Amino acid sequence: MMRQVSNKVGGLRNLIFIGVLLVLILILLSDIYLVDQILEPLEYFYLFFAAVAIFYGIYPLYANRRLTKYYWQRIKKHRLSVIGLAFITFLIVVALIGPIFTQDPTKVNFAEKNVPPVGFTVQQFVYDLQAEEFVVQEIPGTWQHPLGTDDKGRDMLAMLVSGARVSLQVGLLAVLIAVFIGTIMGVVSAYFGGVADMVLMRFTDIMMTFPFFLLLVFIIFIFGPSLVFIILVIGLTSWTGTARLVRSEALSLRTREFIMASKSLGASDTRIVFRHLIPNVISVVIVIATLSIPGVIVAEAALSFIGLGDPTVTSWGVVLNAGQRSLDTAWWVAVEPGIILFLTVLAFNFLGDGIRDAFDPRSQL
Amino acid sequence: MNNNILEIKHLKTYFFTSRGVVKAVDGVGFSLRKGQNLCLVGESGCGKTTIALSILRLIDSPPGKIIGGEVWYHGEDLLHSSGKRLRQIRGNQIAMIFQDPQSSLNPVFTVGDQVAEQIKLHLGLKRKQAMERASYLMEQVGIPRARERMKDYPHQFSGGMKQRVMIAAALSCNPEILIADEPTTALDTTIKAQILDIFRDLKQNRDMSILFITHDLGTVASIADRIIVMYGGRIAEAGTAFDIFDQPQHPYTQGLIACLPDISAQRDRLTPIPGMIPSLINPPVGCIFNPRCERRLPICSKEIPPEVFISGEHLVVCHLYSPLASPQDRREGINNVD
Amino acid sequence: MLTEKIVEVENLKKYYPVTAGLLSKHVADVKAVDGVSFYIIEGETLGLVGESGCGKSTLGRVLLRLEQPTAGKVLYKGNDIMTWDKRQLKEMRKEAQMIFQDPQSSLDPRMTIGDSIGEALLIHGMKNERERLERVEDLLKQVGLEPEHAIRYPHEFSGGQKQRIGIARALAVNPKLIVADEPVSALDVSVQAQILNLIMDLQHELGLAYLFIAHDLSVIGYVSDRIAVMYLGQIVELAGKTELFSHPLHPYTEALLSAISIPDPHQKRKGILLQGEVPSPVNPPPGCRFHTRCPKIMEICHQEEPPLRQLEKNHLVSCHLYD
Repeated sequence: MMRQVSNKVGGLRNLIFIGVLLVLILILLSDIYLVDQILEPLEYFYLFFAAVAIFYGIYPLYANRRLTKYYWQRIKKHRLSVIGLAFITFLIVVALIGPIFTQDPTKVNFAEKNVPPVGFTVQQFVYDLQAEEFVVQEIPGTWQHPLGTDDKGRDMLAMLVSGARVSLQVGLLAVLIAVFIGTIMGVVSAYFGGVADMVLMRFTDIMMTFPFFLLLVFIIFIFGPSLVFIILVIGLTSWTGTARLVRSEALSLRTREFIMASKSLGASDTRIVFRHLIPNVISVVIVIATLSIPGVIVAEAALSFIGLGDPTVTSWGVVLNAGQRSLDTAWWVAVEPGIILFLTVLAFNFLGDGIRDAFDPRSQL
Repeated sequence: MNNNILEIKHLKTYFFTSRGVVKAVDGVGFSLRKGQNLCLVGESGCGKTTIALSILRLIDSPPGKIIGGEVWYHGEDLLHSSGKRLRQIRGNQIAMIFQDPQSSLNPVFTVGDQVAEQIKLHLGLKRKQAMERASYLMEQVGIPRARERMKDYPHQFSGGMKQRVMIAAALSCNPEILIADEPTTALDTTIKAQILDIFRDLKQNRDMSILFITHDLGTVASIADRIIVMYGGRIAEAGTAFDIFDQPQHPYTQGLIACLPDISAQRDRLTPIPGMIPSLINPPVGCIFNPRCERRLPICSKEIPPEVFISGEHLVVCHLYSPLASPQDRREGINNVD
Repeated sequence: MLTEKIVEVENLKKYYPVTAGLLSKHVADVKAVDGVSFYIIEGETLGLVGESGCGKSTLGRVLLRLEQPTAGKVLYKGNDIMTWDKRQLKEMRKEAQMIFQDPQSSLDPRMTIGDSIGEALLIHGMKNERERLERVEDLLKQVGLEPEHAIRYPHEFSGGQKQRIGIARALAVNPKLIVADEPVSALDVSVQAQILNLIMDLQHELGLAYLFIAHDLSVIGYVSDRIAVMYLGQIVELAGKTELFSHPLHPYTEALLSAISIPDPHQKRKGILLQGEVPSPVNPPPGCRFHTRCPKIMEICHQEEPPLRQLEKNHLVSCHLYD
C-alpha cells in the first residue's frame, strides 16, 4: 500500500517531504488555535524552505554523487569562487552559532561608548566631572570589545554577528521565494506555450513594473515594520528576472533532442517537465540565485539604513545608519559593516561566476 | 628550380588547457607548389584545421601556442613576421575560407560591404570601385543578379550562396594561396557539387594554389593533386591522389578507405577501424596510431616511425617501411599483441 | 519471407503555419511534407534520402506521431494511428522508436545513461529497479558497451559511444520499427562504419524494420533494401536499391547519384551540376517542383504536377518524362 501511494506521488522522497509539510501545517494550526506561539512566523518560513532545500537541493546532490563530483572539480578550478565559498561558509557558521558567543547586541552601555577596535587608540573629548570641563582623553581599544562600540556603547562584534544572521536570512529566503516562483512561471510558460505563455509573460511584464518600494512603505504603514514583510515583499516582486531567464532556457531545452526522445518513449508531459526540463534548468536557476543574493542583502541594508527596516533586529544597515552620524568621531561604526557588506557581496559574486562557468558546457575548464 | 611557394617545417602547435597540454599539431612539414591543389585529409582532432590557422597565425592564444616550426612564404618565416606584415598578407596574398558559412559572415553588414571590405583594405580602391569589383566577383562565383544582391544581408542567402560569397571575398584580392577549411561540409550534396566545381575552375583558370582541408575522401579523390593524410596531429601518409587511393601503404589510410560504404562492392559488413581516436594530451608512445593498428610491430609502441619515401612523391610514416622491419613483416602484417 | 507491412503511409501532409502581423494572422504554410505515400515491410530497411528542407526529418517525426500530421493516414499494422487515443499511442511507443542525429543533445546530460536507457522501461511499467538494471546491462552489452558504465553520465562518452547509447535506449522496449534520423551524419568516418555495422547486425538479430533517413546516398545505398528520394516535401522516386543505382529515372536522382563522392581518382567525372538552389517550401514552384533546376525540363513541367506512377515492378517515379 505504501508502495502504491509512494508511486502515485512520484517516489519515496516526495512522500517524506509531504509528511514533513503536514507536520509543519499541524504545528501552524495548533499555533493559531491552541497553544500560543510555538514558533515565530519567520521560523515557519525557514523550516519550509529548509525542507525544500534539503529534499530538492541537497538530496539530489547526494543521489547523483558522480555528477556532483564532476561539477565540484570544475568549480574548484576557479580559485576566486572557492575563496568566495569559504567566506560564505564562514559567514553561515558565524550566523548560526556566533550569537552564542557574543554579547547582547542591544545592550546599551553609555559608559563604554565609542570605544575603538582593538589596536587603535582614539582621542575623545570627554566631560571630566571633577575638572568640570572637557578634557582630551585617550581611549584604547580593548579585547572586551574587539571591534569597538558604537555611540550607544553597543558591542560592534555582536551587532555584526547579528547582522550576519539577518542578512543571510533575508538573502536566502527572499531569493528562494523569488526563484521558486520564477522557475515555475518560466517552465510552465515555456513548456505549454501558446495562450498560457502569453498570459504568464504579460503578467510577468506587469509585475516587473511594480514599485516594490512603494508596496513596502505601504505595508509598513499598515502593519508596522517587520523582517517577514521585507522578505516577503522582496521575494514576491523580484521573481520576474528569474522567470524570463528560466523561460528562455527552457525554450531552448524544449527543442533539444533528448526531450523529443523522451516523448517518443511515451513519457507524459508531467514526467518531461519534472524529470527532464527542471533538472536541466536548475543550473541556470542556481546561478541566478547565487548572483541575486548580494542584491537582496544590499537592498535590506539600504532599507534599514533609511529607517524602514525592522527595528527589533540589528542588521548591517542599522549599524551603517548609526555609523553615518559619528563618521568623524567613531569611523569604525560605519566602516566595519561597510567592509563586511562589501566582502559578502564580492563572495557571492565570485561563487556565482564560478558556478556559472562550471555549469556551462561550452566553457573550457 | 624549387616551385614551392609555401614551405612548412616541423610545425608544432599545442593547446595549454587545465586538463593538460593538447598536442594538436606535433611536428608537421610539407610544401605547396604554385597551381597545386593540396588536400589535408583526416578525421576530427587530427590537427588539419589547426595547421591552417597556424599558417596565418590565427590560433587562439591562450590557450593555443605555436611552439615550434617554420612557415616559409616568399623567403620569410610567417611565424616570425611582424603583426603588420601578417595583416598585409592575410586576405591579400593568402586568403582563407572557413567551414561554416553561417557564422563566417557578419549578420549586420550587407554582403557587398563584406566582400568590398578586403578590396578597400588591401587594394586601396575607393568605395565605388571596390563595390564594382565586388559585384564582378560575385557574378564570377555564380551568384545570380549579383548587382542587386550586393545590398542584401547574409540571412537572406542560402547556405550555398553564403559559401559563394565567402569565396568571392577570399578571391577579391587575387591571392596566391587559398586555404579552404572544410568549405563543403555543411552543404547539401548537389550544392556541394557546385562549389567543388568552382574550386576546380579556380585551379585551372587562375593557377591558384589551394590548400583544401576536408574529412571526405571522395572530395579529395576528385580534386586533389597531392594528398596528406593526418592522424593525431601527425602526418601518416602523403602522395598524389593516385598514390594514396591505388596504393595506400599506411594502415590508417588503408583502414580509412576500407571503411567507406561502397555501393558497387557487395559487402555484408563494413570493416571499421577498431578503437577510438586517441587523446592528444597523453598520446600513445611511439607511433600514435599503434593502439588501433592491426599490423603493429613491437617497435611501434616504443619509437616514432621515420618518414620513408616509397616512390617519387609517396611518403609513409610507418615502421613497416622503415629499414628496421623485415619484408616478411610487411607482407604478413604480423599482429603482435602486447 | 516476411511480407507483412509494418507501417503504411497514405498521402501524408504536414504543414507549418506561417504567421505575420500583430495578431499572428495565418498567411502561408511551410509545406514540409506534401502528400507522401509509401510502406515498409517487416524486417526491411527503407532508405529516405534528400537534401535539407526536403522534409525527411519531419516525415520521420510525423510517422511516429511525435508531431501531428495535417492530413493523411498512418497505418500501423493495418490500424490507423491517427484515431488512437493517448493510451493506445503509449502502447505504440513500444513498437516504434527513434534514433536521433546529434549524439550531443539526444541524451539528457543530467541523467545517468542507465537511467536514460531505463526510462522507457519505467514508463511502460517495469517498476522493479533490479529488473530494469539487468535489462539495461543486457542492452549495453548488445550495443557493444561495458555494462558497468550504466552509472556514468553522457559527457563521459565519445560521440560514437553516445550514439550506441541512443540505440540501446531505442531498443529497450523491443520495437519492431526504428526511425533512424541521420544517425551517422555527425560521426567520423571510422566511427560511422562501426555504428552502421551495429545497425545492420541488430536488424539481423532482432528482425527490425528501419526507416533510415540520411542525405548521404552512399550510406543509404549501403544499408537500404529500398530507397525513396525526396524533394521539397514529396517523394520523386522509389525503387529497390540495386534498381535505383543502376537505372535512376528521375533527373534529381541522377544528379544525386552523380554527386556521390567516390574515393577513386580515376573516376574524376564532374557529374551533373544542377542549376540554382532548392526553392522555399513555403512557395513551391508550380507544376513539377523540380522544374526550376531540371536539366531535362519540358513544356508540361511548368504547368502540371506529375503523379507518382509505378513503371516497372516496385519502381515508382514522379516525372513527366515517363508519361
